[in-house]
Amino acid sequence: MKKPVIAIAGLTACSGCQLTLLNCEAELPEVAERFEFAWFPMGTTGGDDCAAIDVAIVEGAVSTPDDLETLLRLRSRSRLLVAFGTCALWGGIAAMKNHEPRTALTEAVYGEMAVNIRTFNPAPFHQFIKVDFAIPGCPPEKHELLTTLASLLKGTFPVFPQYPVCTECRNRENRCLLIEDNEICLGPLIQAGCNARCPAVGIKCEGCRGPVTEANVAAETELLLRKGFTREEIESRMRRFCPEWDLSSPLL
Amino acid sequence: MARNFLQDELLPAFVDNLAAFGELHGPKLTDDGVTVFGRVVTHAELRLDYRSTLLPPKKYLLPPRETTLAYSPESGYRQPAATEKNIILLGVHPCDLAGIAYLDRVFMYDAADHLYSRRREALTLIGLSCEPDDFCFCGDVNADLPVGFDIFIQRADDGFCLDTGSDKGAAIIAGLSRLFMERERPPSRMRNCSPIKDAIQRAVKTQETFEGSPLWDDFAARCLSCGACSLCCPTCYCFDVREYGNLDGATAERIREWDNCLFKAHGEVAGGHNFRKSRQERFRYRFQHKYLGFGPTRGRTSCVGCGRCREVCPVGIDMLELFRLKVEGKAG
Repeated sequence: MKKPVIAIAGLTACSGCQLTLLNCEAELPEVAERFEFAWFPMGTTGGDDCAAIDVAIVEGAVSTPDDLETLLRLRSRSRLLVAFGTCALWGGIAAMKNHEPRTALTEAVYGEMAVNIRTFNPAPFHQFIKVDFAIPGCPPEKHELLTTLASLLKGTFPVFPQYPVCTECRNRENRCLLIEDNEICLGPLIQAGCNARCPAVGIKCEGCRGPVTEANVAAETELLLRKGFTREEIESRMRRFCPEWDLSSPLL
Repeated sequence: MARNFLQDELLPAFVDNLAAFGELHGPKLTDDGVTVFGRVVTHAELRLDYRSTLLPPKKYLLPPRETTLAYSPESGYRQPAATEKNIILLGVHPCDLAGIAYLDRVFMYDAADHLYSRRREALTLIGLSCEPDDFCFCGDVNADLPVGFDIFIQRADDGFCLDTGSDKGAAIIAGLSRLFMERERPPSRMRNCSPIKDAIQRAVKTQETFEGSPLWDDFAARCLSCGACSLCCPTCYCFDVREYGNLDGATAERIREWDNCLFKAHGEVAGGHNFRKSRQERFRYRFQHKYLGFGPTRGRTSCVGCGRCREVCPVGIDMLELFRLKVEGKAG
């Protein structure tokens, strides 16, 4: 069997998603054996031969002209492209201030040098290119990455369940932070797969995996308003990882 | 005259001796204060005065997620090897006993599910009488009398009265007979029923679907599809089946996992068609399955009145409102 040729790359992001792969220490030898890495600047030395790629797995938001160029180049030479992590899928942390003027934000960080900074509002891939599959998470879960890689060996993508964090949280019999502690927990709106990692240790769901299919934003907002949170608090909490709640999921 | 009366002070001895018959499980508190069924090492961990657990005992028979088949090129699809331990589940309220009796019917009546049957065989049920809380309504759905237990424990003023319901239960009682004394049996209490009992029974009999009820839209608008209502339901058994390959490119595992009829994917089939596109349709489906029954269970209400779904719903959806609205509508 011919080994799938893959590229793993990052745009504007913290590289935490790519690190998720490198953290799969037990599985790395098998991954290295099953796949041919055409380009993985964070993990391998050696240049890019610019040849055709079977799968590009790309993290980060698109926020500079260079990002966009890299993304378009990877798209045009890959059979499949995977949005790797919440930034790539939804915009992520970098996009949380997208509702504020870009110039004010760059000036706040770079002062008078801001005029030289060529950036635009960080945006997810689907605004520019066709995305074939997404692995959500900030960072993504190892098991979802490995399951995706395993499916790619057979030329396909896995089916991940489309239910919210609450489902996994209830299955673990955690204390409900939303109902019992009246916390601003986003569990009902957020795509599961993390096995309720945070609520299991008493931390409310911050929403790092982005919206679940058919997230009922209106009902959750109504519920949180009744619990005494302000609309500003709720919106700011929801925008932390995904600026576009009114859009339905582009992939599902 | 009841022969098997256990005095309060002998309860610890009874509980600790149960370990001789299997691994003891019962109601207990987790570190963050949730009441769950779980492994109990000493009687001190048990909370026999508990109200309700978060997940019902179905998790012992149909775990939230399990591997049903493992594939390898050499041996094809294989069922996982039997590793079931004998489990004594102590303190199961009548509603949860009724829930297990219903699941037994679904998974073992016709074409038995091997994994379920294996676990069921290894499970000993010790029921326990209870006090009603703000959410439960077992009397309204005829689930207040204990069924399908190996032993049933009825709380009395200064002890417990034990009944046996199976050979397995009788053997345990015989083994621990030194702990029991003879005592008059306390009268068993029927639950007080609410006015909706008749409405429920009538609806089931006439297969009432509440077509024109304004509540469907209301439920659909509020529902977060969080899944809690079915995960916490003693009789919801819908599951999803998926298969995942391994990194060796050769072996794979097939899993089954609890599903919920309010999830979008529940009615979705290959090619993307969905039999129940809207939440409203999904609620009608949920009601019909839960209260009216499908196929071989038609006319059989699977709701056992434990009240968990009303308690765990973040937006307070309560399907009993369908009946209540009808009763109030008639009265007014």
